[in-house]
Amino acid sequence: MSAVRELALPLSETDVRSLRCGDLVYLTGELVITAGMPTMQRVLDHIAAGKPLPIELRHATLLHFGGYSVEAAGKLQVVYMNPTTSTRFNAMMPTVIRSQQLRAVGGKGGLDAACAQAMRETGCVYLSFPGGAATLYSNAIREVVAVEWRDLILHYRLVKLRVERLGPGTVGIDAAGNSLYDGLQAAAEARLPDILAQLAADRAAAPGGGAGGKAGA
Amino acid sequence: MISYELIKSVTARLYDASLRKIPEDTKLALRAAEARDRSDTARRTLRIMLESADAAERQQHFVCSDAGVPVYFVKLGTRAQFAGDVRRAIVDGFDELVATIQPPLLQHVTNPLTLERGYKGRDMPIVSFDVIDGADYVEIVCSPKALGSGRWAALEIFSFPSLEQIEKYIMQVVLKAGSQHCPPVVVGVGIGGTFDHAAKMAKESMLRPFGQRHPEPMVAAMEERLLKAINATGFGPMGTGGDSTAMAVHVEYSSGHGFTPVAVCFNCWINRRARARIYNDGRVEYGE
Repeated sequence: MSAVRELALPLSETDVRSLRCGDLVYLTGELVITAGMPTMQRVLDHIAAGKPLPIELRHATLLHFGGYSVEAAGKLQVVYMNPTTSTRFNAMMPTVIRSQQLRAVGGKGGLDAACAQAMRETGCVYLSFPGGAATLYSNAIREVVAVEWRDLILHYRLVKLRVERLGPGTVGIDAAGNSLYDGLQAAAEARLPDILAQLAADRAAAPGGGAGGKAGA
Repeated sequence: MISYELIKSVTARLYDASLRKIPEDTKLALRAAEARDRSDTARRTLRIMLESADAAERQQHFVCSDAGVPVYFVKLGTRAQFAGDVRRAIVDGFDELVATIQPPLLQHVTNPLTLERGYKGRDMPIVSFDVIDGADYVEIVCSPKALGSGRWAALEIFSFPSLEQIEKYIMQVVLKAGSQHCPPVVVGVGIGGTFDHAAKMAKESMLRPFGQRHPEPMVAAMEERLLKAINATGFGPMGTGGDSTAMAVHVEYSSGHGFTPVAVCFNCWINRRARARIYNDGRVEYGE
């Protein structure tokens, strides 16, 4: 049975290594978000050039979230935010995870095996947040700590937030290298012959049933 | 007469409404899935989804931050009378919405050749037109489309395929989408006709309200067995495992030649879908 965990940010390696796939987490503290591929490319360029990042990512929690932010009376505000598809970042994340020793990444849809390997080495988890939970997650924002790379469109910028009980998120990949996503894809592939056999049986029993044309007729 | 102003305001309102409230039938389907799914993670994820949808509706906030790009299906009654431009009204309505909506929209309209993003672009909003003989109204469905589920639609053209080949292809598209399209999804399938027509059928069938089975028993049975098959894959809500990968499968078909396009598309769990009928006398009926 999976656990429900209240976690304070920044996460320690011990915290992270104690999490298991399927655990539910709420996050409190500071984390960094961006939804931009150009942003992650810029992070990689900075890493390659040995240039400091405008927002420190070492041991950070970096989420693939896009948000709408405004500046009113000199105060920054994120009006709403929401997870985006993480798999877009597959090729970029291993380097970012390893070089910054990230403790948690997240978004929706998971990351691939190469990312899971980097996460296992550094002690990092992937958190899955339901797409379409913008209101719930936006309600958890307490403060916008920093917004950088303002030449990019709003949801691509690097934004540091202080959140209170952001969640729940589900541990989709744990630091032992287990991935809900890889397992499910493989299981679905393995089940496919049985699923197709069941479809054939259902077709035979259906109205007009086997009446499909013959291939190549 | 149906005025330019009315079409402009109704189409903008449909877009706005689709962002803040998920359809009632979709809430029921999510609740049913939550009651039925055997996975703890799945049931919890479904509860988060329902909570999120309720919070968005209550706070008049967006369910998802990705408002997608504007897509409208317009059916013009042959007895409908217009006092102004129809396409222009939809374009202007979207511009006005972008300028006034609270909270504001993010820039999702993307030039595919340069990847520049903004609120405007060639052919935006995407509008398709059809005709309803004899009707004294115009029917408009708005279904904004975002990357999350839009990315996974697919089409392949077969030659004299068997039902077995068609259903196998649909399952392959489902497996390729895997965990990625924010399940539980609605699956739309278009079979036959031509390349363009199959895609349109898939999309329009996807937007059919739940519970409306295809009128032909053979197709209705196909919808039912495909739903069961897709839910046997195990991807589950948000692709983290479970029995609830799809809420509904809707199939549409048309005659064609011996080449048979099969188009498959998905709507994510928030199932953005809003419709209205505008009558000649100015009456507007809203639906989901």
